Amino acid sequence: MEAYTFHIQGMHCKSCTLLTEGELMDLPEVTHAESSLKTHTVEVTGEFGGRTQDEIASYLTEPLKKHGYSLHLDKQAHRVRWADFTYAIPVAAAFIGLFIILQKLGIVNLAGSGEMTYATAFIIGLIASVSTCMAVVGGLVLSMSASYAKEGQGARPQILFHIGRLVSFFVLGGAIGALGSAFQLGATGTFALSFIIGILLLILGLNLLDVFPWTKKLLPTLPASLGKHIGRLKGANSTLTPLLIGAATFVLPCGFTQSMQLYTLTTGSFLEGALTMTVFALGTLPVLALLSFSSLSIKKMQTGVFYKAAGLVVIFFGVFNLMNSLVAAGLIPPLVSF
Amino acid sequence: MKNLPIVASVLLAAVIIGGAVAFGGKPDGATQAAGNVSMEGGKQVIEINVKGGYAPKLTTAKAGVPTVLRLKTDGTYDCSSGVSVPALGFKKALEATGVTDVDVSPQLARGTIEGVCSMGMYSFSVQFM
Repeated sequence: MEAYTFHIQGMHCKSCTLLTEGELMDLPEVTHAESSLKTHTVEVTGEFGGRTQDEIASYLTEPLKKHGYSLHLDKQAHRVRWADFTYAIPVAAAFIGLFIILQKLGIVNLAGSGEMTYATAFIIGLIASVSTCMAVVGGLVLSMSASYAKEGQGARPQILFHIGRLVSFFVLGGAIGALGSAFQLGATGTFALSFIIGILLLILGLNLLDVFPWTKKLLPTLPASLGKHIGRLKGANSTLTPLLIGAATFVLPCGFTQSMQLYTLTTGSFLEGALTMTVFALGTLPVLALLSFSSLSIKKMQTGVFYKAAGLVVIFFGVFNLMNSLVAAGLIPPLVSF
Repeated sequence: MKNLPIVASVLLAAVIIGGAVAFGGKPDGATQAAGNVSMEGGKQVIEINVKGGYAPKLTTAKAGVPTVLRLKTDGTYDCSSGVSVPALGFKKALEATGVTDVDVSPQLARGTIEGVCSMGMYSFSVQFM
């Protein structure tokens, strides 16, 4: 039995400890593995025959490579790839500029007037997804997508997110229609939620920039111990979390979603309410899906640029939400108004 | 000049965003008050169109007279339908299409009052002079 301690490069989140431990324990030679996010190390015990430490490190790196980790004998300094910012900043600016222009053009005025039909609900959804709701739901989707892609996970969490979103819009929309009462948050609730989302987006955005190593520790995830009980991380954190986040988007503070919910109230029927909210959610799907899957289509070489650009956009949305929540609460005067 | 590329990229970003803010204009009449104040049965009526924000964003009206703030929605499904005017203690989710009158007593019709949407990105103000 031999025991070694290796430094891991690429440890950036709480779930990384579970993922690396799980992959290493799957190897026949390894009897025990314990990683630490704090020190970025893993202690491995097992039978490795007569291999040198160097050989063991590269052997153990094999199964971890696809997740973006590698093991080393020496501590790897945290390297900030500043060069990525040269491209990331204008890319992020172009995206933010487009967002501002869309708002200034008054795109929301395109939303139909008169009778509400399923077609109108769909169009309102389409418009909502490029309007200020983009700052809330879009920011969340972008940060989630980029964060999962960074962990080396494929399309699955993204698809689960959208399933969770559509299902909750169907079920909760139906419930509102049938019960005739909406889950409207009061002023304090809305303020708290927008404020929390603003902070969350800021943290996620900073983390995507990969400039300050300490932002990792702020990331909210399922506690590791809970993850262990529910099952190996691959199961729990990557199935339940995106589903739940998707479902939760129903109550996120977005003006369009709220007025659609108010309309649904008046339908008085489960099916009509469910369908209206689902069609609305389907309208938001194209743009949200684009944000979700953009991170998957990025070529390996440009990932650094992509994460940093995504990080900058998410930070912008975070600040935008924080500012708006303070304005809506009457704490600060409106600085920008579209 | 090792920092040249990053300086250039920040400048480019500033130009893009600055351009978007400066030239991404709103359709006419959105920013300037245009005959939205009238007298009706001894009361001053201020009309504000509520859709995709508030139009006009800035209204000038007479101070110290009984006033009605008339909020008109027309197929408004965006956030601007959730209006709050803190100075008047008014907060309501307006119907998607309809007219809502808010009474402003002569005592409150002073200074500048501001209305803001439930999410804070749209606002309007009325200046009483």
